[in-house]
Amino acid sequence: MKKRIYRNMCLVVLLAVVLATAVTTFVYYENLKGRIGRELTSEARYLETGLALSGEDYLEELAGKIRETDKNRVTLIDRDGTVLYDNYAEPETMENHGNRQEVRGALETGEGTASRMSDTLSMETFYYARRLEDGRVIRLAAATGSVFSNIVRMLPVLCGAAAVICLFCILLSDRLTEAIVKPVNDLDLDHPGDAKVYDELAPLLGRIERQQETIKNQMELLIARQKEFTAITENMSEGFIIIGKKGEAVSYNSSALRILGAEQVCSDGNGRVNVLSLNRSRVFQKSVDEALAGRHSQQYMEMSGRVYQIIANPVQEGREITGAIMVILDVTEARERESLRREFTANVSHELKTPLTSISGYAEIMKNGLVRQEDMKRFSQNIYDEAQRMIALVGDILRLSQLDEEKVDEHRENADLYSIAESVAGRLKDRARQAKVELRLEGTAVTVRGSRQILDEMIFNLCDNAIKYNNPGGHVTVTVSRENGLPQVIVADDGIGIPEEDQSRVFERFYRVDKSRSRQIGGTGLGLSIVKHGALYHNARVELESRVGEGTKITVRFGQ
Amino acid sequence: MRNHFDEQLELLNAELIRMGALCEDAIAGAARTLRGAKNDEIQVRQAEQEIDQKEREIENLCLRLLLKQQPVAGDLRQVSSALKMISDMERIGDQAADIAETARYMKPAAAESHIHINDMAEATSRMVTDSIDSFVRKDLHLARKVMKEDDVVDGLFDRVKQEIVGFIAQDGENGSLGIDLLMIAKYFERIGDHAVNIAEWVEYSITGTHAEQDY
Repeated sequence: MKKRIYRNMCLVVLLAVVLATAVTTFVYYENLKGRIGRELTSEARYLETGLALSGEDYLEELAGKIRETDKNRVTLIDRDGTVLYDNYAEPETMENHGNRQEVRGALETGEGTASRMSDTLSMETFYYARRLEDGRVIRLAAATGSVFSNIVRMLPVLCGAAAVICLFCILLSDRLTEAIVKPVNDLDLDHPGDAKVYDELAPLLGRIERQQETIKNQMELLIARQKEFTAITENMSEGFIIIGKKGEAVSYNSSALRILGAEQVCSDGNGRVNVLSLNRSRVFQKSVDEALAGRHSQQYMEMSGRVYQIIANPVQEGREITGAIMVILDVTEARERESLRREFTANVSHELKTPLTSISGYAEIMKNGLVRQEDMKRFSQNIYDEAQRMIALVGDILRLSQLDEEKVDEHRENADLYSIAESVAGRLKDRARQAKVELRLEGTAVTVRGSRQILDEMIFNLCDNAIKYNNPGGHVTVTVSRENGLPQVIVADDGIGIPEEDQSRVFERFYRVDKSRSRQIGGTGLGLSIVKHGALYHNARVELESRVGEGTKITVRFGQ
Repeated sequence: MRNHFDEQLELLNAELIRMGALCEDAIAGAARTLRGAKNDEIQVRQAEQEIDQKEREIENLCLRLLLKQQPVAGDLRQVSSALKMISDMERIGDQAADIAETARYMKPAAAESHIHINDMAEATSRMVTDSIDSFVRKDLHLARKVMKEDDVVDGLFDRVKQEIVGFIAQDGENGSLGIDLLMIAKYFERIGDHAVNIAEWVEYSITGTHAEQDY
């Protein structure tokens, strides 16, 4: 802009100077021409007077006295056009001048002028002719060349002046341009609204300010969104990765890095991270490839002892796939639960089928009449026993599933653990005597809030186990007490104990330490499982201490 | 133009990662076969074929890059080291397949008596993984660690060799088993060397200089 203004100014200056010079020259030229005309006229009058006074010789004398260079051409022409005298040429050699424009004018009106190429002088000449009283014509001629030479003489001065003016103007325009551009250059573009510059720039600056405002607002919005997004993804325990079209990881959260074991991320020169550099296992590769090929993919990946589910979905815009989104879930627990459930179902079916098979077997033999009358009672007893076992089993399973779903209808009440233990001991007295085990009850009355029935079952199961897995002459001690103000029930025995490797599993459903003995001992394999779930229901903890051959001590500690 | 080139380099990088992952799979499968797994040998062979195919693909890609883009400086190093790396990876694949094949015909029970061959499998497996990791993360430190780890594998090889000598001397009837084990041990040792080569190429592509070789 500065350059342009400067150039234009210079151009204008130059044009102005040139035009001014031309106009001056023209005016001067016209002026000069007029003056020459007037001079010729007055000279003609002098000559006329001179001629009238001194006759023809006057011209000759005059010619002799005037310097050659100052001389105008003087011609005396007769009435018929014959040249009588000329101070530049011999009159005899000159043709008739009667038809010359100025001569004709002089003959007709008394004076005449003309401007043309002179044959004699061979240059542009200005003529003035005047009729004398005797009818002859005196003609004066001045070469216009003298006008030009005048001008030419003046030109250097003119040009010099023009050049000085030009130089001055150019310097001035430089300064002026600077001054014009300065406010524009000094604009504070961050706050264009505050600037006091040309009115012409006001709309532009206003627009810039509005746009800046818009940009600022949008940036803030974007940053807020970004923060929101980061907050969401960073606080997810699930891994989250956005994958670009070319397989680059556009965005990922720290959970994803943690799960994929990519503690260190390396990007290439352009800041791109290939998603395969996060993890390159085959399952992961397949997931990425599938998603980028436009298919939903769901895979399981095992890494460092945990199971992850990788769900990848393509991102489509129209028909084009522009990337993929991947979510990585830790499904280890879910997987474990699922396998437990499957195991449980299989166990239940098995446990239910065994008594049914023997019932069916006994019934079939009886149906076919193969049983003697005296054996009938034993067979019926067997069928009855198996049926009882099934009822107990189904009851236990129902109880467990109720506890599982926490839909126990028993309302909570204040229950005295000691009285419950007392009633349990009463019911187990016979069984203990049969097993030759001494069952003892110690402690004081302690109340907890909960379901009396479930508490009863828990203590019953614990005592039942203590008696069952005991040696003849063994002891079982049930202690109801408070420790640190919290209620607890301890069932201790000096029986066969539980091997260390089984201790963590005895609370699982249907888990039996000694699978071969379980049939003859009886029981469903669900007892401790019910204790565990009952404890959960009462916000209690179950602790197991046991040594093989020395006995087992199970403590149920109730919470607040 | 440059953009396209970058994309191609990125593709090369991704393909190398994939090939590296295949190598890891192959050697892990070989180690499992050695421990007596039944179906992993087929898996290893498949991985080996895929590795061969990948090698050709990556080779083509590299040559195309060299011809069309005429890379210089770091880019050239990246492409040329890729070219060298894939031949090492290909060798790893082949040797893993050889191990799997040899191991398949060995009696699984016999594998119990010589524990250190499994240690070798583990050590080389870790070396391969580390060398690929060093490439993926452009981790100079890890690459140098791989180079040092080779000494462990070499030491293990000597030890296994001694054990095999003892084994054959003791139980001459199972001599061929000893020979098989020795071959497997040698393969593992070679795989370790290739892993070191990969690590060296990683170093070369990052720094532009080769590691001083002291063996």
